[in-house]
Amino acid sequence: MATLPSNSICNLRQIRKPSSEVARPLKMKLLIANRGEIALRIIRTCRKLGVRTVQAYSDPDRDSLPLRYADERYALGGATPSESYLSVEKLVRAALDTGCDAVHPGYGFLAEDSSFVQACEENGLNFIGPSSAALEKLGNKLSAKRTMQEAGVPIIPADGPVKDADDAADVAEKIGYPVILKAVYGGGGRGMRIAKTSDEARRFFRLTKLESLSAFGRGDVYVEKRLISPRHVEIQAVCDKHGKVVSLGERECSIQRRHQKLLEEAPSVAVNEKLRQQLIDAAKKGLSAAGYTNAGTVEFLLDKTGEFYFLEVNKRLQVEHLVTEMTTGIDIVEEQITIASTSSLGISQNEVQVEGWAINCRINAEDARSFAPSPGTVIHYHPPTGPGVRVDSALFSGYTIPEYYDSLVAKLATWGRDRSEAIQRMKVALDEIEIIGVPTTIPLHRLLMRDEGFVAGDFDTTYLNGVLPRMNANLLTLEKFAAVAASTSRIRNPPTTIEHRNGGTLRWRMAAMAEQVRERVGW
Amino acid sequence: MRTYRVQINGREYTTSVDQKGDGTFQVTVDGEVFESEPLTKGNISTWRVRSAEDSINAQTRVLPTDKVDVWLAGTPFQASVQAIGAGGYTIPTQGIGRSHLSGDICAPMPGRITSILVKEGESVDVGTPLLILEAMKMQNEIVSPVAGKVKSILIEEGVVIKKEAVLVIVK
Repeated sequence: MATLPSNSICNLRQIRKPSSEVARPLKMKLLIANRGEIALRIIRTCRKLGVRTVQAYSDPDRDSLPLRYADERYALGGATPSESYLSVEKLVRAALDTGCDAVHPGYGFLAEDSSFVQACEENGLNFIGPSSAALEKLGNKLSAKRTMQEAGVPIIPADGPVKDADDAADVAEKIGYPVILKAVYGGGGRGMRIAKTSDEARRFFRLTKLESLSAFGRGDVYVEKRLISPRHVEIQAVCDKHGKVVSLGERECSIQRRHQKLLEEAPSVAVNEKLRQQLIDAAKKGLSAAGYTNAGTVEFLLDKTGEFYFLEVNKRLQVEHLVTEMTTGIDIVEEQITIASTSSLGISQNEVQVEGWAINCRINAEDARSFAPSPGTVIHYHPPTGPGVRVDSALFSGYTIPEYYDSLVAKLATWGRDRSEAIQRMKVALDEIEIIGVPTTIPLHRLLMRDEGFVAGDFDTTYLNGVLPRMNANLLTLEKFAAVAASTSRIRNPPTTIEHRNGGTLRWRMAAMAEQVRERVGW
Repeated sequence: MRTYRVQINGREYTTSVDQKGDGTFQVTVDGEVFESEPLTKGNISTWRVRSAEDSINAQTRVLPTDKVDVWLAGTPFQASVQAIGAGGYTIPTQGIGRSHLSGDICAPMPGRITSILVKEGESVDVGTPLLILEAMKMQNEIVSPVAGKVKSILIEEGVVIKKEAVLVIVK
């Protein structure tokens, strides 16, 4: 890893092409069709560029941070996602009512929903993302695979959609166990099941179909070869409307639980210069074949032998985009807006230079062992800062995390001249961050930063499963620390009732209460 | 030294706490030695807790019962803390614990108990020195205002008390 001059230690380095030099001025008014940290992230770039923003919000988000920084606010009404951030009709009306000419969908919710993109296009709204035509080509997992295969990108052997349980077992037999049954229209790590026997293939076909029907509205299932302990590596790209595709390098996202990423970094220890070029070439070919525009990510699985296979395209700004921003100094949201408003990219490939190393820890409001989400009020929040530290979060002291949405409450990212410096900074930042009121994934990240395998870069997508049992021992250790702090707090701040082990409390409490009453009524 | 029975998540720990001269505490939890250093005071106070391997900042909030909320490493804990031994009393504070019942000897000022001069069960007269309370570098002798027997001693040497905390009960 190249060493850098010390003045490059900042959170997001100088944008190579300042916004004032962008070809055309941005006369845009943007509806933010999302919430939380990503809404705030988008608003920040808009304010920098002078783009006016309207924040759409649901009832529970009335007091949320993005509303304070947007130029205007628009109440969607309702609390559940389907009443608010998933309502195509309400969001389009919000944009039109407030005179917006563009919509940024963030990630999740309607970010990859072709009916929403179509509704925007039909109403003359500039959707900050791919066109509905490109979305269609990559619309579901099977059609995306087909598009990639035709473009010459290696894909994991798969077949489907399968008709029924027997068909699923037959196809699985042909492909060879273990296989993974996937919902064709699935996403976000849901609608996937691993089968090791024909019995499981039959059983899981039904389960996956049902799960897919309820979650995605369609029950199509296909069967894919299950790679043993692969790594998850992805290429971030930005594509303009003239067929130019610029790669911003790879990200490593193998630290996952239940197919959901928990920690991401850029670059990847598993990718050498030769492999990097192969991945970038494959990603560019695939995106070009799909006629893709705007920011997109091509995900690959990397097996032990160094072979790679296309996994899927994320057709949106991603949660983990910030690590790429930290290693390239490029504001990806700005590129998205520039592409949407001018058709062209603000950067060219030879301007992109990956420097140093960045790591992102997803801080979720959930139990670190069970991953059970835990909404609640954050009575105190203190984010870490300092050289090479970036926190993307919409938290503040007193904020109540609603039960209706994602459990991600903060993205804590650090940059270092090399991976070990990024890890050291992360250790420090994890010690500094204070989130009081809800359990979070912080103890798991603390454990990872001290974990031999993680520090050595020796891990794959199954790695976290091996770390989790150690979380129990770790939490027992933390419990002892808690016992220490509780005991010393008790010494300095004794309880306000007198307690006796033989039960002498009552008389004293009564006497004290009588005393208080006397004082109050002036006896 | 004070000893507590601490319950967290249904598990029980025995802690022995020693206040050191520099204001930090040495705490033994089931044989393992920790250090706890107070960093900030307030409704929520901050502590640096060190073991042989790790050092973690903890935030605590003492509740009106025997409960203490503790947050550390992004994880909430609720501890129930009960004093063991030495009469089994914890020190009452100004407010609810305040009492003017005759024979309740209260602290006339906040400070630190330097030494206790009597034992439970001992007979005292009016004017018998009971303990020495150090406040603002002054050693203050606290004497008994009544004659009788020392029924309970509610504090220990080395403990810091608030103004009007009940110290000794003479009956």
